[in-house]
This record gives sequence, structure tokens and C-alpha cells, in this order.
Amino acid sequence: MSLLQHPLTLRLRRILFVLLILSLLGLLTRPLEGPAWRVVKSGQPEMNLEAIEGALGQGLVVGVLGGFRAILADFLWIRTNTIWERRDRVKMDAMVRLVTTLDPRPEFFWINGSRMIAYDVPNWRIREEGGYSEVPEARQRAIDLEQSHQAFDLLDEALEFHPDRAKLYLEKGQIYLNRLKDDANAAKWFLQASKQADAPYYAARIYAELLRKQGKNAEAYTYLKDLHRELPNVPYAQKGIILERIRELENTLEIPFWERFQAVVEPVLEAPRKAPAFDVPEPHDHAGHSH
Amino acid sequence: MSILDSFTRIRLIAGTTFLEAVRQKFFNSLLIISIALVGSSTFFQQFDFGTGELKFITDFGFGALFFFGSILSITATTQLFFYEMENRTALTMLAKPVYKLEFLAGKFLGAHLLMLSFTFVITLVLSAILYWRDTALVARLGDEVILDGPLVRYGDVFLFGFLQWMKFGILAAMTLFVASFSNTNLYTIIVSFFLLIICQLQYIARDAYSGMEAGWERFLVLGLGLIFPNFQLFNIGDQLVFDVDQALPLSTVLQLVGYGVIYTVAFLLLAQVNFRRREI
Repeated sequence: MSLLQHPLTLRLRRILFVLLILSLLGLLTRPLEGPAWRVVKSGQPEMNLEAIEGALGQGLVVGVLGGFRAILADFLWIRTNTIWERRDRVKMDAMVRLVTTLDPRPEFFWINGSRMIAYDVPNWRIREEGGYSEVPEARQRAIDLEQSHQAFDLLDEALEFHPDRAKLYLEKGQIYLNRLKDDANAAKWFLQASKQADAPYYAARIYAELLRKQGKNAEAYTYLKDLHRELPNVPYAQKGIILERIRELENTLEIPFWERFQAVVEPVLEAPRKAPAFDVPEPHDHAGHSH
Repeated sequence: MSILDSFTRIRLIAGTTFLEAVRQKFFNSLLIISIALVGSSTFFQQFDFGTGELKFITDFGFGALFFFGSILSITATTQLFFYEMENRTALTMLAKPVYKLEFLAGKFLGAHLLMLSFTFVITLVLSAILYWRDTALVARLGDEVILDGPLVRYGDVFLFGFLQWMKFGILAAMTLFVASFSNTNLYTIIVSFFLLIICQLQYIARDAYSGMEAGWERFLVLGLGLIFPNFQLFNIGDQLVFDVDQALPLSTVLQLVGYGVIYTVAFLLLAQVNFRRREI
């Protein structure tokens, strides 16, 4: 029996033949696949190797492939909360990443994940190192900075998926303001948030307050005057409060009486513009903050 | 023997295969489980953290369709093929003037008809649930919102079902191809599931390695992308059903259908190449 007639060679030839046919088929279908793939890919949340590895680790890969990404992300989020209760920060971080990679559509995961990383983890770490009274201020600051930057990375990733959602800009501003006590950077993000279409009215007010806190009274005065002119006269816009602040600034800046801001008296709208949904606090937010 | 006779034989084999398949307990159990799961999507909605109710139900229904559809497509095709082999009925059939290609095509069409019934029932149940929740939602909102059109595009639910059915076609043909050289039921099912996972995930490998400089890994991944069909193409649920900015263009739908048909026919012909040599 020659080598060419050996059963193994014959089998190998058959395998190579099938592979060759399939490769040719792949080339043949490229003109169909290419344009269709570009359209399909642009409209679906990206799934990367990291997510597959994570899902594999959780034994969920079949479910993920099967299209249950949303529900699996929900269940994994419940599990993330159990891990959060145990204060296992390494696992929690991995779970937040997995959940947001599996289903990047709900803002809820991004926002609450970043809150856990920026607010809760620094507390755990400081306690692990001996508590607030033992750990030097510089070290506490370093931990806060490190954790906040991790949260910022997560929120930056969220902004790639939802570039026009005010909530995400606000969250960055809140972390700068509440955790890092960095008014200048917080102001930048509140301003960004106020420019989004779904921005709550308070974002612009907080921006002006932060300008005042930094001593930029003239800038705050100009901003508030413009804001007062632009806002509709509806209860949620709180134009009364804005006018009060304008008057306070006029006193501080000693603006002459004849140059002071003249507010136009408008009737309160009967059917006000619907307040953005998150002017009302969410019932299941991880760390609710009042404004 | 004319082509017309050939079609008649294929139709007869497909009809018998379909009837056999519908009577299978496995199909009926899976269908009931799928309907129950899609029906219970409103219950699972309480675990949801941010998607809208209708969107969640749709995702859940589409997920159930793909998940159970894939299982059914692989197992039913395998069982229907090996049933004939193990009971020696294939021998009787092929002793008559029936070509092996006609036998394979008949088996495939029978299994594919089964998948059509499954897909239709699931999409129908999903549409009914969506309609129920849609009506309830609109009634609850009352005059609070002014709608430009319906909340749900029901035609898209069926379009998604149809495209999934095309994908099940490739999967069934691929399973028949594996069965054509395999000796056991279990081997065929396991290999087919692995193929499903590769086809579903090959695009990730392609994306990950597309930026690589020329090397053997790059060629390996390129080869992988050429050899295995891209099942992720049919994962278009996010672009359908709701009023999204970029609805799926008709040209894309046609390209997907063409892609599905070409791969289905190719795998059936490859199965025939193996099956022709096989001793029954």
C-alpha cells in the first residue's frame, strides 16, 4: 500500500478538502458578510474577550451566547451586592466589570458600580489599614485618589456607550465634590452635565455654587444671570432661588443699584415641562445623594 | 428519474421526518419549557435594574428563542438522522431508488420545518405578551404621553424569528455534516455544540487579532474567520422591535438571508460528500 493510499493520508486529504472548500466559501460570502456585519455590529453592545473569560469563570458562557445577557447581568448584579456586603473588594471590582461588559445599556450598573468603587472601597481599605484615626491623612488621600480614578475609568467607559447622559457626568462631578473635595474639577463636570439634553435643573445651580465656593463670584454672577434668562418659569427650575443667589452676589460684588439684574416677571406655566426623571431620587440607588 | 420525481421524494422524506419529530417527547418538552419561560418574562422583570419593561421582555424572548432553538436544532437533527441509521430504516429507504443527497435533503427539510414551527410558536407567544404589556402600559400612561406610533413593531419580532430560523438552518446543516462522518449520537451533539460556540464567538477572535502584525496567530484567526460562519451576524435583536435611530435596512436583511442560504446549501453538499462514502 503506497503512502498516498494509506487510510490516514486519505482522511487527511478529506479534511484538507473540507477546510479548503469552507475557506473558499468564506471568501465567497465576504461581500455579503462584510456590509451586513458593519450594520449589525454598530447596533449591538460589544462583547469582548474579557467578558467571555468572565462569563466562562462564572459558568455562564452558554447563557451569554444564548442571548440572556440582560437577565444574567441582572442576576450577577444581585450577586455583586452580596460580595459588596462581604467587602471582598477584588471580587467586587471584577463583578462590576463583568456586569457592565455583559450589559452596558443600563446606566444603573455603571453609576452604582462607580459609587461602590469610589465611596465604599476607600472606607474598607482605610479600616483594613487600621482605621481613620491610625492611617495618616496623606495615605487616606492617596487611597481616595486611587479609588476615585478607578471609578472615573469606569464612568469614562460608560460615557463611550452613553455620551449624552447627564447622570454620568454628574456622577463624576459628585465624586470630585464629595470624595476628593476638588471643587474646580467638580465644577467642570457639573457644567458638562448641565449641557446635556436630559440634565436636571440643579446641575447648573450646583455649577454656579461651586464657582462661588472657588471665589469666582463675577463668573458665577454672569452665569446665573444667563441661566435665569434661559430657564422656563416652572417650579422645578427654581428661578426664585437663582434670583436670590443673584441678589447675594450683587451685594458681595457691590454692583451699583442701576446696574443690577432686572428679572422679567413671567407667569408660572400651568403645564410645566416634565422634570427629568432623576430630579426624583431613584428607589434602589446604591448610595443616594441629595442635592 | 426527473428532477420533479426527486423533489417528490425529498418532500415525502421531509414530511415523514417532520411528523416523527413533532411526535418526539423532547420537542414537546422543550417547546413547553420555552413557552413557559417566555410567558414568565414579566415575572423575571422584577430582577431588572434599568431596561424598560417591553425591552426586557423582548430581550428575554429573543434569548429563549436562540437558546432553546439552538439546542433543539442540534439534538433534533442528530436524533432524526441516527434514528434511521440505528433502526436500519435508512438501509430500506436507500435500497429503493433514492439518492443519498435526497435522503439528506429530506432529513434536513424535516428538521428545518420543525424549527419553523418552534420559531413561529415562540415569536407568536412573545408578540402576544408584548401586546398585552404594551396595551397595559399605554392604558396606564393615558394622556401623559403622546405617541407618534405603536411602542412595539410587531413585524420586527417575526423578522427576528425568521432570521433566527435561517441561522438554525445553518446549524442543522452543520449538524448533518458532522453526523455524516460520525458514528454516534453523542459525538455529533457535542461536536455540533462546539461548532455553535466557535461560530458564535469567532468574531471576537477576529476583532481581537485584527490589529496584530503579520504572524502565525493572525493567519490562524483569519483562517478561523473564513472557515466558520459568523453566527453573531444574526444577533440583531437590539436593532429591531423598538423605535431605534437606525432600523435594520432591507439590504442587510437580504444579505443575511443570502448568507444563511449559501452556508446551509454548502454544509448539506459537504455532508453528502461524506455520506456518499459511508457504509450503512
